[in-house]
Amino acid sequence: MKLLHVKAKHFKNCSENFEIDFVAKSKKTAEDKEYELQKITEGLYTYNTVAFVGKNASGKTTAVELLDACFSILEDFRLESKSYSFDGVELLMDFYYDEYIYRYETILKNADSIGSKAIFTNQKIRRKKYFKSKVKEIYADNSFEDVEIAGELPEDTSKIFFILKKKATRAIYFDSFGKGIDTYRLLFASLKDFHISTDILSNVINIFDENISDLQKLDDHNYRILFCSQEKVVSDKELLYLLSSGTTKGMLLYILVVASLQNGFDLIVDEIENHFHKTLVENMISLYKDKSVNRHQATLIFTTHYCELLDLFNRQDNIFIAKSNEKVYLTNMYRGYAVRPELLKSRQFYNNVFQTAVNYEELMALKKELKK
Amino acid sequence: MKLLIMCEGPNEKEIINILLQNNCLKFTEDDLLGLTPYHARQIHSSAQVRTELNLYPGEVKIYRIGDKQSDKLKIPAEYKSKIISVEKYCTKPELEMLFIIAEQLTGAYEKVKSGMKPKDFAKANIKLGKKKYDNSTAFYTEYFGNNPALLVRCINDYKKYNGSHGKDEHYLAELLK
Repeated sequence: MKLLHVKAKHFKNCSENFEIDFVAKSKKTAEDKEYELQKITEGLYTYNTVAFVGKNASGKTTAVELLDACFSILEDFRLESKSYSFDGVELLMDFYYDEYIYRYETILKNADSIGSKAIFTNQKIRRKKYFKSKVKEIYADNSFEDVEIAGELPEDTSKIFFILKKKATRAIYFDSFGKGIDTYRLLFASLKDFHISTDILSNVINIFDENISDLQKLDDHNYRILFCSQEKVVSDKELLYLLSSGTTKGMLLYILVVASLQNGFDLIVDEIENHFHKTLVENMISLYKDKSVNRHQATLIFTTHYCELLDLFNRQDNIFIAKSNEKVYLTNMYRGYAVRPELLKSRQFYNNVFQTAVNYEELMALKKELKK
Repeated sequence: MKLLIMCEGPNEKEIINILLQNNCLKFTEDDLLGLTPYHARQIHSSAQVRTELNLYPGEVKIYRIGDKQSDKLKIPAEYKSKIISVEKYCTKPELEMLFIIAEQLTGAYEKVKSGMKPKDFAKANIKLGKKKYDNSTAFYTEYFGNNPALLVRCINDYKKYNGSHGKDEHYLAELLK
């Protein structure tokens, strides 16, 4: 199963027809097929990496939250415990599964007054056989046919269950808030759930802090650590003080990268550069582009303020620029702008080609106040 | 110091991968920048190669693998101090010469070579079981993947067959153990 396309109405403060398309549209060179793209089936390519960029409060996080919601439906057939209201959200998802393109549409409602979970109304599932010759029209609405579904489900369970049948991790969302002391519990749970060896954990720890040579979980709140050759038993709170915030966050994120690459699910990271050295982010991007490592078609989806990272992208159609006026909206760099591919993307950002620059007048207004 | 292997196409990359996996080369994966060969013609147009060059702080030697490699490798200014040498390893006129040698068809090819490229000759004459050569990487994998000794023999024989490389054009055979 691969999610290809998402369209939403009334999701948070998104514009009408907020749309994210993962199918490669611009020219696909042999090198792009090697490093930038993944072949889902003959003629159908999606991206190894996808970036959302834009200034603060432009809607980057909203975009990845929408994807997180879609993946929750595709993996659990439910949508619950999110930080936003589901009421009135109209959702359309196109995904590839077993030689068919499926189109799923629904209108969400809050199941209760606190909006702890969504119920699915007006559900419609249609599909069409995928043909390479019709790849340019894969989203054409009139060629989908209704899927007959016999059976009833609770209203908080999506009918996608009847198509995919089994729960499976489709993506993990790593938000920008940090998990505090829960990080270590999540770290060891991920190691167990995704069968990641302790050797890999050691490799990951060494990337972030050479003083730590071992970390073991004793129980839910206590850990044994070999720190500067000294063995210590520490609680999760003590561990949080002992390690840098970058190490704590980085260990979990890199273990999730490993899980994503080994199992072929997508990883969604909000503000990827948060707490990290640029090299570590570059390395993550490089791992997803290297098919000798990314053997199961995992995609790294991230938001960033760091436009230099986009110079590591050979394509433009996997970059979405978020902007907001009253509503937030996305523009695909390839479809929305005529940028010469040989120009550095970061330079275009600094030249404000995408109207994403920080407001200079506002910066100077603050400085003026400070000079008084 | 690391080696950056830049292959002109995916088929050259597959040849190098087969040789690497079977331990036939003078270097191992550990000697390679990013632990892998790359499909990249130029540095400026390969985001993956640039990323790997950014990640590695030491010096880098480049081996270019391709047929003629008539285009000069341009080294972007930011990598000039890091890249200490560039060497070309050629399979002129085309990589398909390896199949022609493997099938002992060099005599037949000599007769038509003025009007036919090795690629077209291979498409017309090279088969693996019922499958005709189709310029695909999968064909290289199937043909040589299980028989690296044949690949090594062909690379060595290519040097004997084509002794007319220019001064700066090395033979793949020089990379073999």
